Amino acid sequence: MAPLARRLPWRVALPAGLVLALVAVALAAPVLGLPNPVRQDIANRLSGAAPGAVLGRDEFGRDVLSRLLWGARTSLFVAFAATTIAALAGTVLGLVGGWLRGVMEIVSVRLADVILCFPPILLALLAVTIMGPGVATLIVMLSILYTPGFVRVSYGETLSVREQDYVAAVAALGARSPRIILRTLLPNIAGPLLVQYSLTLGAAVVVESGLSFLGLGVVPPTPSWGLMIRGARATMEQAPLLLLWPCLALTVTILAFNLLCDALRDAVDPKSAARGLRLVDRVAPGLLPRADAQPGPQASDLTANSLAVRGLTVEIATPRGAIRPVDGVSFDVPAGETLAIVGESGSGKSVTVTTLMGLLPPAARAVAGSAAFEGKDLLRLDGTALRALRGSRIAMIPQDPMSALNPVRTVGEQVAEAVLAHRPVGRAAARAEALALFRRVGIADPERRLDAWPHELSGGMRQRVMIAMAIANRPALLIADEPTTALDVTTQAQILDLLADLRRETGSSLIFITHSLGVVAEIADRVIVMYAGQVVESGPVAEVFAAPLHPYTKALLTAAPEAESPPRPIPGAVPPPHQFPAGCRFQPRCAQSAPGCEAAQPLMAMRPDRAVRCRRARDLARMEAG
Amino acid sequence: MAFVAGRIATSLLLALAVATIVFLALHLVPGDPAELLLSTGGITPDPASVAELRQRLGLDRPLHAQYLDFLSGLLKGDLGRSLVDDHPVASEIALRLPRTLELIVVGTLVALAIGVPAGVHAAVHAGGAFDRVMSGLMAVLMAVPVFVLGTLLILLLAVKLKVMPAGGFTPFSRDPAGHLVLLALPALVIGKGLATVVFRMTRASVLDILPRDHVRTARAKGLSERRVLRRHVLRNAFGPVLTVLGLHMGALLGGTVLVEYVFNWPGLSTPLIRAVEGRDYPMVVGIVLTISGLFLLINLAVDLMRAALDPRVRAG
Repeated sequence: MAPLARRLPWRVALPAGLVLALVAVALAAPVLGLPNPVRQDIANRLSGAAPGAVLGRDEFGRDVLSRLLWGARTSLFVAFAATTIAALAGTVLGLVGGWLRGVMEIVSVRLADVILCFPPILLALLAVTIMGPGVATLIVMLSILYTPGFVRVSYGETLSVREQDYVAAVAALGARSPRIILRTLLPNIAGPLLVQYSLTLGAAVVVESGLSFLGLGVVPPTPSWGLMIRGARATMEQAPLLLLWPCLALTVTILAFNLLCDALRDAVDPKSAARGLRLVDRVAPGLLPRADAQPGPQASDLTANSLAVRGLTVEIATPRGAIRPVDGVSFDVPAGETLAIVGESGSGKSVTVTTLMGLLPPAARAVAGSAAFEGKDLLRLDGTALRALRGSRIAMIPQDPMSALNPVRTVGEQVAEAVLAHRPVGRAAARAEALALFRRVGIADPERRLDAWPHELSGGMRQRVMIAMAIANRPALLIADEPTTALDVTTQAQILDLLADLRRETGSSLIFITHSLGVVAEIADRVIVMYAGQVVESGPVAEVFAAPLHPYTKALLTAAPEAESPPRPIPGAVPPPHQFPAGCRFQPRCAQSAPGCEAAQPLMAMRPDRAVRCRRARDLARMEAG
Repeated sequence: MAFVAGRIATSLLLALAVATIVFLALHLVPGDPAELLLSTGGITPDPASVAELRQRLGLDRPLHAQYLDFLSGLLKGDLGRSLVDDHPVASEIALRLPRTLELIVVGTLVALAIGVPAGVHAAVHAGGAFDRVMSGLMAVLMAVPVFVLGTLLILLLAVKLKVMPAGGFTPFSRDPAGHLVLLALPALVIGKGLATVVFRMTRASVLDILPRDHVRTARAKGLSERRVLRRHVLRNAFGPVLTVLGLHMGALLGGTVLVEYVFNWPGLSTPLIRAVEGRDYPMVVGIVLTISGLFLLINLAVDLMRAALDPRVRAG
């Protein structure tokens, strides 16, 4: 909690300050020199604002301001007392139930579940019937009402904390249960409990004022906001302000508690606080930094290519400034050929193809470059034109077929949808087409599988469904984004064979993203190696594998388990965002780095068909040869 | 099917537990139950009337016999007789329950009609003007208790502007238009509480689904944005919304008691409040059990609907 306190955001500070101010007013009510809140003055009933009665007098001639402030005292006293009791009782029950399990768990947690089956106000009314109205009844019954909430929070958190290694370690050291609970668990569950505490305070104020409004909560003449609203209702025609003041006080109080609760929740739960960054992480796991754009290599014959990408640069706006996960990337995919894109995670492979599909999230956009496909520039097409291409001329096979399938639609439905999106056919025809596609991709028992849910299929089967979806409209370009990463080795081989077969059969081009060099050798004609958003080497697969020019490519080859010598992992990792070298991006991890590598490296053409982004490539090649 | 049977069994068990707690409530409070019910402000009640009440409620019999009688009465729909006028509690509830149900159903529809579209729109254009205005408005509305909103609406629309009646009830069969006019404000106020929750949950849920891979797949297929939203986001997002809806029905049912009181709607709240004031224990128990049973039923329905929407829930 320490870093939280140091940079307390205004979202927490504002409602917290408001709550503190309310508490201060409530505590100070007796010493503020206010008129007696219960002294009646019938002669001056309903009189407006006057010296001695700033907000006027109510239907019994009592001072409204005084009753309002004393009312805060009543409401907050009931709320804090009941919430504190509930928090203590609930936390203890939840901790004990979660830690000891067994009978204690059943008693505390199940009982809590049953209490949660009652609408709160009704349980309260039952208690009032038995015990009679009054502040004491309110506190007893509200604390019973809110104990289950705390039981649930502390129980759930205890269960998750007790699984963590350090708690198990402390237990192994022989610390006795109560000590473990107090020393290690409480600090961990303090955050969620604090959230629950502020949530409950607000709820308690609502129920207390509601019951008082019904005349079943606080007993007159004790000042209470609920009672004030009840009283002012009768005279609202003559004195509407009498109604407004307690309504306002009540609303502001509840709002303060609610806002505090929301702010605390965001502060405690890192998931919700980092929402802005999370989205970016999905597209660019490495969060790559900015660098000067590189122009693409010399223009090649566009007509022979299915796809020609030039100088593609993608920028993502993050809370920490713009980053460029893809920076000046150029490549060609000759018609009917397979291009592999290789690189470690965070090298920008996926962002590159996501951009081509026009599927970047709103925070990201292509800021430079072009992508020529069938006479159009994919980066400059409007939404409708791009949508017409997606799934028909260009299709994508994703990395994880489980998450890529909608869990609440049958797989047959999802494949038929791809057909329906681009062809003027009916539902039955689309279903028949889906059946044919299922047969084509080798799904056993296809008739029955059409109506299966994604979670009922194996990983390999799901990937076959995704492939069926991708080839549904015979695309000219297939993009497979690590399509075998989530699969076991046998299934990987089957899927690769299927893709190779389909490509031969349809003559479509294929972009195959992978970090497995073995797969590249098996399936691809050409390969580009990406590092940190840039192409560092490109060329025909056989040549690149036989004579890698870039130290990164070499390192990848020796790091691959397929290599003849034992694999040697590349030391270090892709640098964190905004700490990126200005020159050669691989230089800090490069075994061959030399003075001069700190300068920006252009992509140099080596032989007619190859390019490398390393100033030492020629020297290194000569050294190796000699 | 196994899921449905299991879920129904759980509901029945919970209903038994709820009935047991209600039965035990009177006995769990320290002191003689009959004396408790008759004492006001610390004054010891007359021993003769305590004895009479004890005999009338059957409190002089062994606890297990009382419990069995209570349960068998529940099964037969017999909720005992009012202490005040000796009328059967069940018949009073049968008369009033439909009016309360009407408010609840219309209020829930209002909440869904406002909360779902607004939540979806806010999520799709997250951070935009609509999102910020609605999120702020909903946060403020959430802080206004239903009885405060109801009272203020009466002040504004009935007392000041005189465009709406301040409250009351006309049977639909006698005056359909008048019935609907009187229904409008209480239903709106009840709907407000739930609408804020539905809005928040819909927005959060859609925001959670939008960046998922399967939505990208749907876009990659070339589906239109509307179709992606309708077929691949909304159905997935609605599960959590339904769950939260079920949980918050408790607050809605409680709020209904207050709203009926504010607008003089003659549902279950009138006899309930009168019974609490008059310490009419059987009547209070009957109404509390009815509404709690309703709450259980709603949550059962919510779980079954979730299962219908999501095959993974069915699979367990």
